[in-house]
Amino acid sequence: MFKSAAATVIALLVMYGAAWAETTIVFATDATWPPMEFVNARKQIVGYSIDYMKAAGREAGFRPVFKNTAWDGIFAGLASGKYDAICSSVSITEKRKKAMDFSEPYYTVRQALIVGRTSHARSLADLKGKKVGGQIGTTGYFAIKAAEGVIPKSYDEIGLAMEDLNVGRIDAVVCDDPVAANYALLKYKDTLKIASVIKTGQVEQYGIAVRKGNTGVLDLVNRGIRAVKAKGIDQELKKKWIGQ
Amino acid sequence: MADRDTGVEKIEIGDGAAIPVPEDRGLLSAWWIALCGTIGLLIVLPLVKPDPYADILRFVPDGILVTFEVTIASISLALVVGLITGLGRISSNRFFNLLASLYVEVVRGIPLLVQLFYIYFALGRFVRVPDIVAAVIAMAFCYGAYMGEVFRAGIKSIDFGQTEASLSLGFNHRQTMMYGILPQAWRTILPPVGNEFIALLKDTSLVSILAVSDILRRGREYASESFNYFETYTMIALIYLLITLVLSRLISTMEHRLSHYERR
Repeated sequence: MFKSAAATVIALLVMYGAAWAETTIVFATDATWPPMEFVNARKQIVGYSIDYMKAAGREAGFRPVFKNTAWDGIFAGLASGKYDAICSSVSITEKRKKAMDFSEPYYTVRQALIVGRTSHARSLADLKGKKVGGQIGTTGYFAIKAAEGVIPKSYDEIGLAMEDLNVGRIDAVVCDDPVAANYALLKYKDTLKIASVIKTGQVEQYGIAVRKGNTGVLDLVNRGIRAVKAKGIDQELKKKWIGQ
Repeated sequence: MADRDTGVEKIEIGDGAAIPVPEDRGLLSAWWIALCGTIGLLIVLPLVKPDPYADILRFVPDGILVTFEVTIASISLALVVGLITGLGRISSNRFFNLLASLYVEVVRGIPLLVQLFYIYFALGRFVRVPDIVAAVIAMAFCYGAYMGEVFRAGIKSIDFGQTEASLSLGFNHRQTMMYGILPQAWRTILPPVGNEFIALLKDTSLVSILAVSDILRRGREYASESFNYFETYTMIALIYLLITLVLSRLISTMEHRLSHYERR
């Protein structure tokens, strides 16, 4: 018992010793956003964004550490220095750019409208006077709020919104298309469907968010993202996690 | 013996400083300072820095309404549930007694947050109720058990002699409870009910996880879009504080009016 404990301690020390050689970057991630980032059955944080950052770390020489953080308040934690960066499917928007710096985009995303299987709604315009849910503080939720006549409803996690749509408390959900596909085509494939992709008139892309002026971390992450794109690793990851 | 005759000064024994009297100046001023400070900040901050603060004040009012709706509906339902539970707990009918006791044991052992999730999401599969109704049911279900204990304690605080007197006058058990015990017990029950009311109002902030647009939810929505977390939560805290300060004063006034027998 004692021996094995001592062995574990030594093993840990050796592991950390090796890790100290390269920079560690702590990423906050709201792991409730399958397939981009989520917690799997073995309680590990996995997903497309996670694998992407791990690959970027290998290319640029940093060790990514992921910290599961609730979405609501994730930006406040970045500003107060609880972690170095956010890798959580953060869309780059003008408003967010004022509060934080962004890496180069690593994924292009669209907003999808999910409705019940029997619903005839094709767009947000068809849902006037109806309740539409989204995750608090996401571009999907902002799209709902911008739509005229729709009653927006904000949830802490997208899964809770999907469950409410599933039992019929709300009439539609808006979120990023890979996540929408995950819920509508896998988890709730018998009850929900993707109605359409919402046209917002602008390209929406994910980026890694860092504290304003933190160029050290930003440069490392950018170098990693560029290398991953150049080697085509991102295409493999897309096949693995999103299936396209 | 001799002391009494010779008129040695009488020694007065009071409550001491540990139990302040409501008329106590210190207590009054603490409340006044808190109230004036809260109102002052709520007025000064939006005037000095209108950019986030005034915007926040414009954004949350419908949330205040929802918070009150949930609180008042929950407390009304909880009072009814509590009265039935309290009577069940002292009932000589073994079935009702067991049922009420079981309810109290189960509810007190489960955190309110878990109960909220349970009633909203778990039961949502079988019974479809609107979000606010689900929140009210969950809050009333939880607080009903607490209220039950308050009622039971209040009823038990009435001397058994009252029941005996009432029964010997020819009242039956129901009449004894309705006309004899409950009107007296109400005075003991009211202060803790008032406290539960304020506690419930504060606990309604938990329903914001159910996507009910209460004060906290509105604040979080504002903060998530503007990133003004500090400013938003400052205002949210001040609004809650103002409401509970006013309510606690109302309740202590009511309590004071009801305490005929303890007046000095």
